[in-house]
Amino acid sequence: MGFLAPIMLVGAIAIAVPIAIHLIGRQRARVVDFAALDFLMATKRRTARKMRLRERLVLLVRALACAAVAIALAKPFTSCERKGPQVTRGPQAAVLVIDDSFASGYVVDGKPWLKHARDEALRILTQLGPEAEVAIVRASEAAEQPTELTRDHLRLRDQLLALEPSARPADTTRALARAAQLLAASSHARKTVFLLSLLAKTGFHGDESPWGKDGPALVPLELRAPEMPNVAITALRADTDPGAGNRGVKLAAEVTNFSAEPAKVELSLAIGERVVARGALELGPGDRKTKPFVAVLPVGARATDASVSLGSDDALAADDRRWVRASLRDEVRVLVVDGDPRTVRHDDEAFYVEQALRPGDRDDTGVVVRVITTEELAGIDPRSRGAAPAIALDDFDVVVLANVPALPAERVALLAAWVRAGGGVLVAPGDRVDPAAYDRTMLPLLPQSLRDPIDTTWGAAPEERASRALHLVKWDADHPIFEQFAKDDASLADANFYKISLLGPTTDTADREVLARFTNGAEALVEATIGNGRTLLFASTLDTDWNDLPMHKGFLPLMQQAVRHLARKHAPADSTEHFVGASIALPTSDLKKLEVRGPDGIGAVFEGDRIAGRSSVRFTKTDKPGAYRVIATDQTGATGDRDELAFVINLDPHGSDLAPAPPAALPTSGISNAAGPADNTRRVELWHALAAAVLLLLLVEGLLVQR
Amino acid sequence: MTVKLDPAQLARLGSLPIKARVIVEGALSGLHRAAMHGSSVEFAEHKEYSPGDELRTIDWKAYAKLDRMYVKQFEQESQLTVYLVLDASASMKFAGGDRICKLEYAGLSLAAIAYLVIQQQDKVGLVACGDRKVETVVPPRARTTHLHDLLGVLDQVMTRGAVGDESPAEALARIAELTRRRRALIVLASDLFDPADETVRALAQLRAQRHDVSVLHVLDPHEREFPYEGLTEFRALESTNRMLVNPASIRRDYLARVTDFLTRCKSTLGNAGVDYHLVSTGEPLEQTLLQLLVARSRLQPSRRAS
Repeated sequence: MGFLAPIMLVGAIAIAVPIAIHLIGRQRARVVDFAALDFLMATKRRTARKMRLRERLVLLVRALACAAVAIALAKPFTSCERKGPQVTRGPQAAVLVIDDSFASGYVVDGKPWLKHARDEALRILTQLGPEAEVAIVRASEAAEQPTELTRDHLRLRDQLLALEPSARPADTTRALARAAQLLAASSHARKTVFLLSLLAKTGFHGDESPWGKDGPALVPLELRAPEMPNVAITALRADTDPGAGNRGVKLAAEVTNFSAEPAKVELSLAIGERVVARGALELGPGDRKTKPFVAVLPVGARATDASVSLGSDDALAADDRRWVRASLRDEVRVLVVDGDPRTVRHDDEAFYVEQALRPGDRDDTGVVVRVITTEELAGIDPRSRGAAPAIALDDFDVVVLANVPALPAERVALLAAWVRAGGGVLVAPGDRVDPAAYDRTMLPLLPQSLRDPIDTTWGAAPEERASRALHLVKWDADHPIFEQFAKDDASLADANFYKISLLGPTTDTADREVLARFTNGAEALVEATIGNGRTLLFASTLDTDWNDLPMHKGFLPLMQQAVRHLARKHAPADSTEHFVGASIALPTSDLKKLEVRGPDGIGAVFEGDRIAGRSSVRFTKTDKPGAYRVIATDQTGATGDRDELAFVINLDPHGSDLAPAPPAALPTSGISNAAGPADNTRRVELWHALAAAVLLLLLVEGLLVQR
Repeated sequence: MTVKLDPAQLARLGSLPIKARVIVEGALSGLHRAAMHGSSVEFAEHKEYSPGDELRTIDWKAYAKLDRMYVKQFEQESQLTVYLVLDASASMKFAGGDRICKLEYAGLSLAAIAYLVIQQQDKVGLVACGDRKVETVVPPRARTTHLHDLLGVLDQVMTRGAVGDESPAEALARIAELTRRRRALIVLASDLFDPADETVRALAQLRAQRHDVSVLHVLDPHEREFPYEGLTEFRALESTNRMLVNPASIRRDYLARVTDFLTRCKSTLGNAGVDYHLVSTGEPLEQTLLQLLVARSRLQPSRRAS
């Protein structure tokens, strides 16, 4: 301890004053030689003791007060090690860059790291003083940033107090760049960036410094805990698992140990909110392992939300749970146009198609089939609809034209437009198909034009029919349609084709590909792309008129795979993973209202002008991880959950890696750093405390004297 | 009507014998009947003469009638032996206001009693206590000249002043030895400030030995009223204790304790048969003497040594 004005310590001799007063006071007392003193001493010994004690206390308090006044005037001070950054008070520009990424929820000393950082930021804000122009820049990815510096410290304080960990990873580099922009617009000579960050290396990217030599001074605060171990679920995938039954799904949870110590974690799988499976994993330092789960979806549900949680007491809880949308095969809605309807079902093309796509008419086949006649197809065209009921093509993924006579050009145009928008069409000829008429109107839907069919058994004796029949060969086993078939799979290769349509020149389609051929070399199945949609042309019938394929077991998977391929339901699961902040496109055709509800029940409602005349809307309030429901109201007023549109939002896993950034990752401090290294000690003046002590002592003295 | 003598004025009179005489005369002038009786010699029995008996005791009349020599035996009718005990310990030095101190008051009282006793041709002795270094004992005698000796010693004690912290209990024990089995009247003048109550016990013990015991419990009015005001430092007379106190804050407790002390003295000594008189140094001395004499005259003859 030292004194700024030690001469004032001379005043300590003022201690003699209360002592003198005490002694004089004693002398002023009347003295009586009293014989019965024992009675006084005996009866009021306590009082006497109290009085003596009080006298001595008063003397002590007065002496201390005098000494404290003298010492306070001497301005004592002490030095202590500086905690936190050196903050200079006065006019200046400063930006507090504070990390509010989800990692800032990491619990340090019993409370989230962000609260420690916030306390430090409040302290800095106070020390900067009211003349400082300050802004608070949040370092989480895509966080809203201030547009200017302000002296409204009350508002800044409120901003700091309202800070909560976001659900996004850190983007410290961007935040520093924004801080530099804000400071660049300031006219103050002193510019400082206070960086309150976990300084995780994942928050820094790029080598370019946000400022040059004349940039602001950078004051990074050491707020990291020495060790910040973290275990996170970094990925979760779900897929169907036929081995677990029609409703089986398999999930794979990827767990990463971002620490230098081995970890043992327990995982639990929840379907909806119900935990259905548990497991454990042992992870070495830096390990990344996958834990598989198998589950069965609830009866009646084709898709549901699933999540995997870590059961351990992890300091960072935000990344201990991950969601996925677990679904059975996506439902394919197929419109089968029966060009030659028959009263005997097994003579009807539509019968075989429907049986192949929806065997046993079970709901879990994932295919919804509607069969109409050629005349009913007029329902797609409002102008030529007539008595036919309206048909919305957007309600279907695939249209199968089975032995359909050539359609009018207007109707073909509508179908072609629908295909270009993403629909799929499968065309199969038959006896009612006139190649010439097809050439006139149907070419926009075909990869190749049709020619007259050939009957390979024409004129042959019945016993020779089989030998003259053609067979499917050279199918593209790598194509999704044939991925379930071996190269010479008998279930397909044994099918006899007695009559086939020959194909003519190619049409104005793109990416035409022959997926299978007949043994005579003629194309059997041709695919092409029309806009965003696909078309498939099968060169024979879909019933047993021209072949016996429907009687072979390969017909069922072939048809199912074909419509799924046309309906584009083969998208890989991980490509649909959305992180917090993602913009989700939701189709809105023929919907009157679309409502999205987030995990906390809050979301957005699209209706009226926001949805009218639009084929899709974008939902951007994906700021919380979890499962999002989509509730739609169609034109008829029917409202219900649209499971196929529901989605899940997860944390960006790269924010879970809290490994510290190397010092070189931080930009070089600018001008203010030229002042040299900061003094690590600070002077603490004690006279305030002594003045308070004097007041307290005087108060005590007053109380003692009064009693 | 009794002339009231102010103790302070009396103290300014000449020698102690004069003071004693003034007190006694002041007291007796208002007394209608004597409180004490003179002694006498009465016949007890005859005993046959044996060699060695004093010849003057032979009953010649009986010899004339019976022709045998008998010796007359007499019984002296209780010549009173009075022991005056003066507490001259330091606490007796206290004097409140312009009054005489307790020692002086007690001394004058005992001088008057000695005067009276000698007047009645009874024996009177003196024991003064307080200073352990000086032993003041005047054996009991009945001669007039003895009164002068006794009052001279008493005067010396009063002149020396109250010193020491010896309790009267020791003086009373000494008297018990001196009197042995002979009954005596023991008059103690003291403030009885004895922390251990030894004095009271010694008095009760003397009474149990069939002595006649009177106590003049001498207190100053200030000790009973505690009239002090303002910050006061009280200093003990028999020790080095001192206490700085605001008297008003402790007056109530002090008076309660004093009252309790007086009540205890009165009841303890009264129960033991001790003739107890609480006297104040503010009261006229002859009144105190009269109070003692009247009280003694009312005692049962069997209790009365004189």
